Amino acid sequence: MSVSTAMVGSSSWSRALVQISPYTFSAIGIAISIGVSVLGAAWGIYITGSSLIGAAIKAPRITSKNLISVIFCEAVAIYGVIVAIILQTKLESVPASRIYEPESLRAGYAIFASGIIVGFANLVCGLCVGIIGSSCALSDAQNSSLFVKILVIEIFGSALGLFGVIVGIIMSAQATWPAKQV
Amino acid sequence: MSSTFSGDETAPFFGFLGAAAALVFSCMGAAYGTAKSGVGVASMGVMRPELVMKSIVPVVMAGVLGIYGLIIAVIISTGINPKAKSYYLFDGYAHLSSGLACGLAGLSAGMAIGIVGDAGVRSSMVCLEDFQISCK
Repeated sequence: MSVSTAMVGSSSWSRALVQISPYTFSAIGIAISIGVSVLGAAWGIYITGSSLIGAAIKAPRITSKNLISVIFCEAVAIYGVIVAIILQTKLESVPASRIYEPESLRAGYAIFASGIIVGFANLVCGLCVGIIGSSCALSDAQNSSLFVKILVIEIFGSALGLFGVIVGIIMSAQATWPAKQV
Repeated sequence: MSSTFSGDETAPFFGFLGAAAALVFSCMGAAYGTAKSGVGVASMGVMRPELVMKSIVPVVMAGVLGIYGLIIAVIISTGINPKAKSYYLFDGYAHLSSGLACGLAGLSAGMAIGIVGDAGVRSSMVCLEDFQISCK
């Protein structure tokens, strides 16, 4: 029996949380990791794309170079897909009697937190890259020497999505379910 | 085996949420700082292209905030190991508060960097000494 049976029921948070299946938390985490990442990518793409297309009316030369901004935003969605696939491979089937054991609860919480981290880090990264990409297109239309310099700022912005992926993967390594009984 | 798991059952929830808060809020601050000062740099660069490389300083400062959040998130998440060391609600709450402390501080710092960096680079177009003062 777990050490903490005396503690369960001592706090209303614990009483509520231990009744929720770890698979619920895992599923929500996986959904957030891909859904919110794609939201961030889409938001960034429409911000940068609308500026790019508008600026290209007067300066058609900028279109092919500035697609790089759109690609940086798209990369954020790909990070979300990769982590969602990794997280769903971490799910293991556990016999019904062991679902609410502390170890499987912890695995569920780890996958949930990992999904939240990746999703929201990619959301803000996509937004940031989109806003800078739109400024990049507009300033490139004025003066083509500025493109590479503003691209450096965009690279700083896209590093934020990578931070989310790194921490998400490190945290998903904590998702160890109790071994199946033979 | 559950006999090797010592500590409270729901404590890891708060611990992992602390790690999540550390990274997510710091990244929000870093993104705001990067985006706001980046827009200022792009606008200013149209008039004075030679000042653009000097004006990347606020962007670098904002990027560092993301690294702070990453470090704290990794430290917290590797500290949650109920098999090696007992993990009680106390530890969970401590991790939650440390993650929130790092994350929310990073968020505020990022917002400050963004607003000041934007104003600074735009004024550096007129006067470079103003920009150097605003960097301090």
